[in-house]
Amino acid sequence: MRRRGIPWLFLLLAVGPVVLGLGYALLYSLGLVGLLGRGFTLEHWGAVVRSADFWGALGLSTFIAVVTITLSTALALAAVLRWQEHTLRGLRTYAFYLPLALPATVMAFLIFQWLGDAGLLSRLAFALGLTNSTTDFPSLINDRWGTGIIVAHTLMATPFLTIFLANLYRSERVREVSQVAATLGLPPGRVARRLVIPLLLRQGRSTLLLYAVFVFSSYEIPLLLGSQSPAMLSVLTIRKLQRYNLADIPQAYVISVLYALLLVAVLLLWLGWSRYRRNTALHEA
Amino acid sequence: MRGWWIGLLLLLLACGEEQDTSAGELPADWDGIVAAARGQTVDWMMWAGDPLINDYVTSYVAPTVRERYGIELNVIPGQGSQIVQLLLGELEAGRERSEIDLGWINGETFYQLRQIDGLYGPWTERLPNARYIDFDNPFIGTDFQQPIAGYELPWGNVQMTVIYDSSKVATPPRTRAELLAFVRANPGRLTWPTEFTGLTFLKALLIDIAGGGQALSGDFNEADYARYSKELWAYVNQLKPYLWREGRTFPETLAALHQMFANGELWFTMSNNDVEVDNKIGEGLFPATARAYVPDFGSIQNSHYLGITRLSDDKAAAMVVANFLISPEAQLRKADPAVWGDGTVYALDQLPDSLRTAFQNLPGRVHAPQRAAIQANALQELAPEYMIRLAEDFRTQVINR
Amino acid sequence: MKPRLGSALLFLLALFPFAFLLLLSVSQRWVYPDLLPAGWSLRPWGDALGRGDDLGVALLTSLLIALTVGAVGTLLGFATARRLSLLPRGRRWLRLAYLPYVFAPVLLAACLQFYFLRLGLSGRVAGVLLAQLFIVYPYAVILASSFYTSRLRDMEDLAGTLGATPVEVARTVSWYLLRGPLAIVFFQSFLISWFEYGLTLLIGVGKVATLPLKVFQFVNEANIFYAAMAASLLVVPPVLLLWINKRLLFVTR
Repeated sequence: MRRRGIPWLFLLLAVGPVVLGLGYALLYSLGLVGLLGRGFTLEHWGAVVRSADFWGALGLSTFIAVVTITLSTALALAAVLRWQEHTLRGLRTYAFYLPLALPATVMAFLIFQWLGDAGLLSRLAFALGLTNSTTDFPSLINDRWGTGIIVAHTLMATPFLTIFLANLYRSERVREVSQVAATLGLPPGRVARRLVIPLLLRQGRSTLLLYAVFVFSSYEIPLLLGSQSPAMLSVLTIRKLQRYNLADIPQAYVISVLYALLLVAVLLLWLGWSRYRRNTALHEA
Repeated sequence: MRGWWIGLLLLLLACGEEQDTSAGELPADWDGIVAAARGQTVDWMMWAGDPLINDYVTSYVAPTVRERYGIELNVIPGQGSQIVQLLLGELEAGRERSEIDLGWINGETFYQLRQIDGLYGPWTERLPNARYIDFDNPFIGTDFQQPIAGYELPWGNVQMTVIYDSSKVATPPRTRAELLAFVRANPGRLTWPTEFTGLTFLKALLIDIAGGGQALSGDFNEADYARYSKELWAYVNQLKPYLWREGRTFPETLAALHQMFANGELWFTMSNNDVEVDNKIGEGLFPATARAYVPDFGSIQNSHYLGITRLSDDKAAAMVVANFLISPEAQLRKADPAVWGDGTVYALDQLPDSLRTAFQNLPGRVHAPQRAAIQANALQELAPEYMIRLAEDFRTQVINR
Repeated sequence: MKPRLGSALLFLLALFPFAFLLLLSVSQRWVYPDLLPAGWSLRPWGDALGRGDDLGVALLTSLLIALTVGAVGTLLGFATARRLSLLPRGRRWLRLAYLPYVFAPVLLAACLQFYFLRLGLSGRVAGVLLAQLFIVYPYAVILASSFYTSRLRDMEDLAGTLGATPVEVARTVSWYLLRGPLAIVFFQSFLISWFEYGLTLLIGVGKVATLPLKVFQFVNEANIFYAAMAASLLVVPPVLLLWINKRLLFVTR
């Protein structure tokens, strides 16, 4: 019944495309393929590594991914701790599932209409006499900190993570475990802090990391709500790929390769870290 | 059991490249081309960003060519950069036939497609209707200072206008000095997109600084660019603190600019189509008080074109469709502001009387300026390298500062 | 009484985006500082219906692609999750599923376009299906694996030990315990495919006209009222799917 060996289909579908894509991007970035390539050169790599745009984009993408995932995880945990195994019941079910039907572009459009200088919020502020003109309203979109982007992503991530953590809560029988802990005399606050939150975060860490990577890679939302400079990485890459200078195309592939290498490094670090955690946990046990 | 996915993969590979059917030479005469075109499908990649334009193509052009010539017209939405990206990819992958036959292109796309040898040609002189076209007009027969040389067919002609809200702006600024004074008095109400339209606006300013008119015509001149662009950035940086968001960021798309104008956040927007103000008021997007004008420093007038891809399998049908698009019937209909309002590429003074009268009797524009009135301020497109450099330097010299 | 109120507010909050979109889609001239638009018009909807054939085809294409990708992705995802859980180094293999996410989907498409063009798969539904599967499958594997815990496997093993055939195990034990997760993974996979834009555009070269492509055509038209109408078109089918699937998705036992 148990088959051993190599899971070929998995390798083919999950690893194949990346290897092919990365290979092509690498060759293109070095001028070895491509209609306009003129043989091996490191010029494009130099241009990207020296450009402030690239480092700014890297910093901003990281910042936005970290802030978004922290905020939405905190909100989702709060919801699950508040409602526990009843999180997805009755009207709440709809409240958490409905937002999943909003794609990134529509969310970006909505945030533009709500938080823009002449958006719904700004009009409310005017109606309440708080502002006199669109210019009085603080810049919440197209600002350099990516406020609008973070809000849009958080609104999308929170319901999703709530559903995810609520399901984990059930499938991991967190309720039963916490009841045992409570019976043993642990106060509720400590049950949440020492038991429920760590348990959910540990079981859900892959998904959380994956979601952070989604945010890091996002394109449609920063395209509408982001600032020109710094821009998020996908926006910068597509800009290089599609704008007026054909000579910029190899730079787009340089960024793609760097981007991929960087995320591989993050994944390896994370794996190393979780293995370290597991080993120390074993030692302690 | 184990091999099923290999089967799946083979299946996918097998339904790949279809057989090349109708390669070979085109018939020598036009009747032969029309005959060869029957039954072909033309994949036309075009900018599909305007309801009126989409309506003109899908409810008028497509049914007409199907009925008259037996040609199936398949519209694929996509801008110039997508055409370039796709054709470049196809050439790199060694494809023998292109996914698209016809492209709606202009200036910078034409330049890029010629760089990668993506276009078929020369072909335009074979079209019977090409005889009406005003090829001698520098705004039509020359594209971004490049001779079109039969590789693209002029299809429509437009001039850039600045759109403003007359309920907020009593007298719109007409010169660079007035513009600076205006934004100083009314900060945060003007900006422009970083894409094509915004760059076209910057070009007009650059030409004005260089002395106006033909000052920068001809091939790209590094020394001229260095000198005048320095002045341009100095001027734009004077404007910068009074632009929307203190000029720290600019909208990425024209759509975003239009939206901010529509909701009252901005007092200005701009358009490469001189009749757009009427269209957008009609759609209920712009306020009825929106007006369009051309500043004294002028604005770029340019044409848009049709190109046939070198790897197209259906060149005959693409030509027949192109010939229909420049027919008197199609040009006249397109020039009607209620339909689209796109300027014609015909030499009006050389048309037969009845046709000329038809063009002159088209219903008038409402708030869009008359073409004759803004023609004097029309500037020719600059060589493509100017736009590439402006796009790059605008980032480094203005936005990132 | 109080918790009910909180949930009701949360529900209204979740409804607000949809109501806002619908309202905006029938509006005209919504100028600052007015809270409400200055006019109402059904023109965007009229125009959308006028292009009916087009949108109908797009809707069907999208449904076909999203249902196929969702179903294939979910089945392969769970099959792989199970297979990996049986391997001695399963967790280690699973890490490879994260690899595709070192690319943003748009960038992955840009880097793979060469191969799709080369194989003649670009501009075809088959190509778009395959490309979307590249994104959906690893995600389904990861998601499925997080549900496919050792506890579940132990129960399957237990059933097997008690004499159930693998099919019976799958039909009873696995189905009972996994139908919630299956529905979630399917719904998520469906949504990724349903909303996919950049990848579909690059691999389908605009010829595989899915609903998002049509919708963004409207969004690019700069008219927020048309954009709102188009966005409504895009979000209604997933909402319906939610409604139909609520029994499965909302299991709370």
